Amino acid sequence: MLTYEPGETVVHDLDPRSKLAVQIGFAATALAHTAPRALLGLSVVTAVVLALARVPVVRTLYAYRFALVILALGPLVAAATLGPPWIDLEAGLATALASYRVLLILLVSAAYVRTTPVRESRAAIQRTVPGKPGQLLGIGVALVFRFLPVVQSDLRTIRDASAARLGTERSARERATTIGLLGLSRTFDRADRLSLALRARCFSWNPTLPALAFARRDAPTLGVAVALLLTAFL
Amino acid sequence: MATEQGDVDLVDGDVVHAFARAALLATLLGAVAPIAIPIPFSPAPITLQVLFVFLAGLLLGPLWGTVSILLYLAAGAIGLPVFAGMAGGLGVLVGDSAGYLWSYPLAAGLIGLLVHRGTDLRDPAEVSTPLVVVALVTATVLIYGMGVGYMAWLLELELWEAITVGALPFIPGEVLKIAAAVAIVESGRIDTV
Amino acid sequence: MLEFRSVSFGFDDVGVLEDVSLSIPDGEFVVLAGANGSGKTTLLRHCNGLLSPDEGTVLVDGTSVEDDVIGARTSVGMVFQHPRDQFVAATVGDDVAFGPANLGLGREEIDRRVAEALGAVNLRGREDERIDRLSGGEQSRVAIAGALAMEPTHLVLDEPFTGLDEPARRSVVGRLEALAADGTGILLATHDLRDVLGLADRVIAMADGRVVVDDRPDRALEELDGLPVRVPRARADLEERC
Repeated sequence: MLTYEPGETVVHDLDPRSKLAVQIGFAATALAHTAPRALLGLSVVTAVVLALARVPVVRTLYAYRFALVILALGPLVAAATLGPPWIDLEAGLATALASYRVLLILLVSAAYVRTTPVRESRAAIQRTVPGKPGQLLGIGVALVFRFLPVVQSDLRTIRDASAARLGTERSARERATTIGLLGLSRTFDRADRLSLALRARCFSWNPTLPALAFARRDAPTLGVAVALLLTAFL
Repeated sequence: MATEQGDVDLVDGDVVHAFARAALLATLLGAVAPIAIPIPFSPAPITLQVLFVFLAGLLLGPLWGTVSILLYLAAGAIGLPVFAGMAGGLGVLVGDSAGYLWSYPLAAGLIGLLVHRGTDLRDPAEVSTPLVVVALVTATVLIYGMGVGYMAWLLELELWEAITVGALPFIPGEVLKIAAAVAIVESGRIDTV
Repeated sequence: MLEFRSVSFGFDDVGVLEDVSLSIPDGEFVVLAGANGSGKTTLLRHCNGLLSPDEGTVLVDGTSVEDDVIGARTSVGMVFQHPRDQFVAATVGDDVAFGPANLGLGREEIDRRVAEALGAVNLRGREDERIDRLSGGEQSRVAIAGALAMEPTHLVLDEPFTGLDEPARRSVVGRLEALAADGTGILLATHDLRDVLGLADRVIAMADGRVVVDDRPDRALEELDGLPVRVPRARADLEERC
C-alpha cells in the first residue's frame, strides 16, 4: 500500500500546493501528448521526481496493480481484430503509448502521496478552496482519514460474524445486502454521535486555518508546474 | 461568559448532522474498496463501491449524497488508500478508471433527484420500487457511459473494445447491486437525514 | 453557575425532562445518577444547547443558553460516551486543537491551550501520536482534553467509563479528581457510582425525567434505596472511604 512516510527529502519540504500544481501541470501535458518524443521527455521528468522523492518504484507499481492490468490489457484488445490479419499492430501501438503516459501520471502522483501528510493536504484544501465548500472539504477529508481504520474494523467484524453464520454459502446478493445494511447502520450511528461532538466543540465556518506558508524553494517548483502546463498547448 | 468570540459563525445543527453522515459514508465507500465478492459466470468479482454510491443518493439525497462522493474523491486524491486495490493519488482521478470515479457524484446526485424530487428528503422505503429501480438503472448507465467513454478516449480504444474491457464483465454484478440496494432501503431499517 | 429553571422537554430517544429546576455553582463536583432512559443524557444536552427546552430556561452564568450558544459551548465542555466517535482528526494534537481553532483563536494561543489541556490529562508531549493507536483510557483522556481546550468552567461527562477496563477507569477518575481540585466544576452522569461518590460534593438522581434525589453523597445514598436507580457497590465503596 502506498502511503505517506516521514522523510527528509526536498519534496517533503515543499508546500503541498506547489506539489499539487506540478501534478496538475504534468497530468495536463501528459493527457495532451502521446508522441514518442513527448513521452521520452515526460519519462525523464517522472524519473527526476521519483528520485527526488525517493519513491520505491516496485512497491508503487504494486499499489497501482489494478490500473496496470487495464493498461496492459488495453494494447492487446486494441491490436486484436476480428478477421484477417487478426492483429492490427498500429492500433495496438497507439494504445500502448496512451497507456504508458497514464502510468507516468500515476507515478508522479505517488511522489505526492509518499511525501505529504494528510494534515498538510487538509491545510492546502482549506486555504485553496474558498468559503464553506473549502471548510467542509478540508474537515471532511480529515474525518475520512480519522475514521477509515474504525470503519474498516467494523466491516471486518461484520464479515467475520456473517461468515461464522455460514455466510460464505449464501448468495452473493444476500452477502452484499448484509454488508451494506449492517455497514451503513453502524456507520450512521457513529456519524450521529460524531455530529453531537462536532456541535459541542463549536464546529464553525470560520476557524483559524492550519498553518501553511510558501517558502523560497517553492518558487522553482511552481515555475516547473507552469512550464509543464504550458507544454500541454504545444 | 466569554463574549469576545461573537464573530464565530457556527455550522447549523442540521448541516452538521448531514455532513457527518456524508463524511462517514465516504469513509465506508473507501473501506469497502478491498472487499470483492466472487459471482458465478463472470470473470470479474463484484466490488461494493457502486452499491454505496447508490445508497448515498438514496439515503442522503441529491445534495449530501453528492457531497459525500466528492469527499471520497478528495480523500483519494490526496493519497488515502480508498480507491480500488487500496490505491490513492491524484493520478487515479485522470487514469484509466477516472471516468467511473467522476461519474459517481453525478450518479448519486441523479438518484437523489429522481427519488427525492428535491432536497427535502422522503423516506425511500415509501417510494415505489419501480421508481427506485429506474433511478438505479439510469445511474448505472451513466456510470458505465462515462467510465467506458473516458477509457476509450484516454487509451485510444474503439468504443466496443472499451465496452469489452470496461463494462461487459461487470453487468451481472450491477444487477445484483441494484437488487441489494432496493432490499436495503425497503427494509426501512435506516432512516434518512 | 449552571441553572435549570422549570425545564421540561418532550421527546428524545434518550429520555424526557419534567419540570427540572437545579443550580450548580462553579467548582462543584456533582454526580448525576439514574438508570438508562431516566433523562440524564437529555438533561446534560441542555447544558450547552444541543437540545433546547420546550418549557423553562437553562442559564449559564446568568445568560440563557439560547441567547449565547457559543458562550454556553465554551463555558460547558462536554464529553460523550464512545470517545472513538468524538475525534475529528487522526492525531492527538490536531484533535485537541479543533475546538480552539473553531473559536478563531491565534495559532500561539491554540498551541498553548493544546499543551495545557494535554498536561491536565497526563498526555503532555503526545501531540503527534495517532489516536487509533492509543489505549481506551488514553482515548478517553484525549476526549477530555478536547473539551478542556475550550477552557470551560464546567466539564460535563456522560457515562465516560463505558467500555473502560479497571486501570483505565481509575486513570480517568484520577484526572477528574485533579481537575476538580483545580476548581473546574464537574457534572458526571454515570450509573456506576463506585469511587466517584467519594469525590462528589453532591449527588443528583433522576427517574422518569424528574430529579428525585439532590443531596450530599452520604445522605443521598440512603434516599436512593427503593428508587429505580442502580447503585452497584456504591455503599460499600463510600463506607470504605469515610
